[in-house]
Amino acid sequence: MRLDDQAYGAAIRQEIHARSRRNVSINAVYTTLDRLEQKGLLRSWVGDPTPERGGRRRKFYALKPAGIAALRQAYRAFTGMADGFEDRLGAK
Amino acid sequence: MKAAPELPRLATWLLGRRLPDAWRDFVAGDLDEEFRTRRVASRLGAHAWLWSQVVRCLIAPPPVSSAAPADVRPRGDSMIRTILADVRYAVRALAHAPAFSLAVIAVLALGIGANAATFSLINAVLLKPLPFDEPDRLVRLYHIPPQVTFPGMKTFALSPANFYDWQARATTFDRMAIYQARQFTLTGRDRAQTIIAMGVGAGTFDLVRARPALGRWFRDDEDAPGTRVAIISDRFWRTYFGGAPDVLGKPVMLDDDAYAVVGVMPPAFSIQAWGLSSRDIWVPLGYTPEDRLVRGNHNAQVVARLKPGVSVETAQAELEGIARQLEVEYPADNEGWGATIIPLYELIVQDVRTSLITLLAAVSLVLLIACANVGNLLFSRALARRKEIAIRSALGAGRRRVFQQLLVEALMLSCVGGAVGLLLAHLTLGATSALIANQIPRVDEIALDGRVLGFAFVVSLVAGVLAGTMPAIRAGRTDLTDALKEGGRSDASVGLRTRRILIVCEVALSLVLLMGAGVLARSLLALRGVDVGFDPDHVLTVRTALPASRYSTAARSTAFYDGVLARVRALPGVQSAGAVDDLPFEGGSVQYMVVDGKPELSTREQPTVQVRKITPGYLETMRIPVVRGRDLAATDNDVVIVSESAARLLWGEVDPIGHTATLPLQSRERTLTVIGVVRDIRDDGLAEDVGAHVYEYSRERDWRGMAIALRTSVPPATLTTAVERAIHEIDPNQPVERIQPMTALVDQTIVSQRFSAMLLSLFAAVALLLASVGIYSVLSNVVRGRRREIGIRTALGARTTDVLRLVVIEGMAPTIVGIAIGGVAAIACARVLETMVFGVSASDPLTLAAVAAVLAMVSLLASLLPALRAARLDPLQTLRGD
Repeated sequence: MRLDDQAYGAAIRQEIHARSRRNVSINAVYTTLDRLEQKGLLRSWVGDPTPERGGRRRKFYALKPAGIAALRQAYRAFTGMADGFEDRLGAK
Repeated sequence: MKAAPELPRLATWLLGRRLPDAWRDFVAGDLDEEFRTRRVASRLGAHAWLWSQVVRCLIAPPPVSSAAPADVRPRGDSMIRTILADVRYAVRALAHAPAFSLAVIAVLALGIGANAATFSLINAVLLKPLPFDEPDRLVRLYHIPPQVTFPGMKTFALSPANFYDWQARATTFDRMAIYQARQFTLTGRDRAQTIIAMGVGAGTFDLVRARPALGRWFRDDEDAPGTRVAIISDRFWRTYFGGAPDVLGKPVMLDDDAYAVVGVMPPAFSIQAWGLSSRDIWVPLGYTPEDRLVRGNHNAQVVARLKPGVSVETAQAELEGIARQLEVEYPADNEGWGATIIPLYELIVQDVRTSLITLLAAVSLVLLIACANVGNLLFSRALARRKEIAIRSALGAGRRRVFQQLLVEALMLSCVGGAVGLLLAHLTLGATSALIANQIPRVDEIALDGRVLGFAFVVSLVAGVLAGTMPAIRAGRTDLTDALKEGGRSDASVGLRTRRILIVCEVALSLVLLMGAGVLARSLLALRGVDVGFDPDHVLTVRTALPASRYSTAARSTAFYDGVLARVRALPGVQSAGAVDDLPFEGGSVQYMVVDGKPELSTREQPTVQVRKITPGYLETMRIPVVRGRDLAATDNDVVIVSESAARLLWGEVDPIGHTATLPLQSRERTLTVIGVVRDIRDDGLAEDVGAHVYEYSRERDWRGMAIALRTSVPPATLTTAVERAIHEIDPNQPVERIQPMTALVDQTIVSQRFSAMLLSLFAAVALLLASVGIYSVLSNVVRGRRREIGIRTALGARTTDVLRLVVIEGMAPTIVGIAIGGVAAIACARVLETMVFGVSASDPLTLAAVAAVLAMVSLLASLLPALRAARLDPLQTLRGD
């Protein structure tokens, strides 16, 4: 969602790393993206080769409406469960 | 515009091989892009990051997904992902239980390490081919001697004439070579010493295909009398010549003659297990034309190389045919003398093969017991985690997944245990090799090579599977409802049958080991108690060899030994002294004895006796009692004293005193008079029958190698220096070959039995310890789990003895079953040990009863400790605590 139409493997990986400090592997990112696509929550398309990638192509992903709905549901469930915990967990 | 990729070529190649086509571009492109960015900040950091990503891609690449409809659920994680996840989880879980992990690793390290060490022994001795070219074609050739003359002997050395005839007539061999040990006095360094060199006939090194590291082989023309050249071993080169690079041409002083060094053999040639290669010096055999014609004196060793494609059986048949030809051509010397071939490898290992395999079997039993023990520990741990396992199952983990997780934990522990065990084996290898060097051949070739490492790895996996399978299966069958609710069945009652079965296995296997150790120990005691016919206690023996260069006449060697004996007898603490050519258990001359008045029979029928040359004082020193006639006196000459067996063999019921005989191999002219009959002695081995001995004495003796025996009133070892001094007062340059108490010589004959008994006892002790710890830990768990029940019973009036009986029966019941099964197994395995025991049956019922009793006692003790703890439980506290 944050990356709009620039959401490809490397960018997603770096976004996860920047926000959660988790150094996930690129294959884990693509495996998850592929699974979500198989479930009909994402769509993908292939971009042009670029010199910064040694002439290789990028595969971009974006949320489908079903994916946005699923994300919204998950977000609501999480915020509901975490309600009132900010003080106890010292979360900012 | 297409720019060049910046990923290292290796990374690109690996990803190209591993990634599916559908993902290759995207994954490699993403890695390339981020790698370039990171490299700006830090090259090293960028490379480290890249390779961690590459490795993870290699382990678990993105899956190849078919164009499946969106509503089909994906298949789930691959097996390798789940195993990796289990490995990570197991590392965390085991790190949180360090005491448990260390205990399991220690037990497995012991079992796997012992197996690895034993296998490395078997690998070096039995599995590795001999370090020669085409070693399976190297064979030793022997005579089969006439059985009437040499009852029970299957092999005998060759005579030179027979060898040359075999060599000329045989067609199934590439080459044959003859060799014979030669004794020299080595001088030229600090002190003179006796050395056994090997005299080798022409073509010996060529046959074995052993190239020297420096210099050359002997030339064929150098195999002639008087040739003074030598080839030396690598070890001798380093110790005697200090590893000098210009050693070729330098002299080695043997019997005061200079032998020029023409070659140095490489270290790999010096195999201690074979007489030819174990020496430090080789010299040409140098037979004279007369020596080559000697047919009746069998004292030479022969090695041969079969032609390619020729089997041992074919060559054997040919040699037998040649031996029969020689019987017809030379009946006086060859009648009854057959031929046999033994592969060199077989000769080296045949004596130890059974012992080594028995050892491996024993150490495998220890590992099985360790696995049963670990199985119990893993089971207890799995039970303690029942709730956690139940939650995982409730969240969707199937039985297979739970089983896999616990098995992975067990395998991790066993692999770590195996690594530690290998380290232990490596650290103890040096000391172990030194300990067994005298009993096991090829000990110098023991190493932890690829095969041993592979064996240790496989054993670790097997141990992990054996120990972990039952607990993993049992945990997978956890009753979810019971595990999750409070007040459900306690740990103690769950899986009790499984743990009882493990105890039964441990006890049964321990009994088999204890029985083996017991019969070997009794066998050793029986051997020690054998009456050898003489008294070895308080007897010191000294062996010397006189060099031919300084003792070329009988008069000189007689004067030497008489002088030494006179001085030694005068030493304080010496009660008597005498000399003999070969002490008991050192082997010795076997000859025909022809009784005067009886015809000389053919070689096939002529009885033989063990002939020993002695001086007055020897029989008295060894306390070999004279039963008829008298002992030697210094004034005697050309006399013999015969043993009771020899008297019966040669004279039957007739009293031999006063009769005469000859020893034709020494001299047909010299007549020997019998003056006494002595008791028989054993000198072939403690388990062997007594032999027929003849002790001969002449006033003038052309002896060059003699052993002096002295009976002492003080500990024999305290006289070592004084005896050496006495010898050097007669001849300062005379080396003393060996000084040792006679008891040490006797002990050497049972060194392998002692070794086997010691090792098996060690294994049995370890097994007993493991079994008792196993019983103790299971019962402790049972008591802990049944606290409430015990508290209730006690509150309702149960006495201390009732509680004790409850717990002890819980421990003793599987013990009794284990003893019964183990007893049957021990009797079934007894046949294996039958060849290794003496004086006791391998299925001896007394030993079986004794070890069963020991096992029962130890189990009782292991059961009593938790039982006493249970009996001391305060019922009020126990019930309140719930």
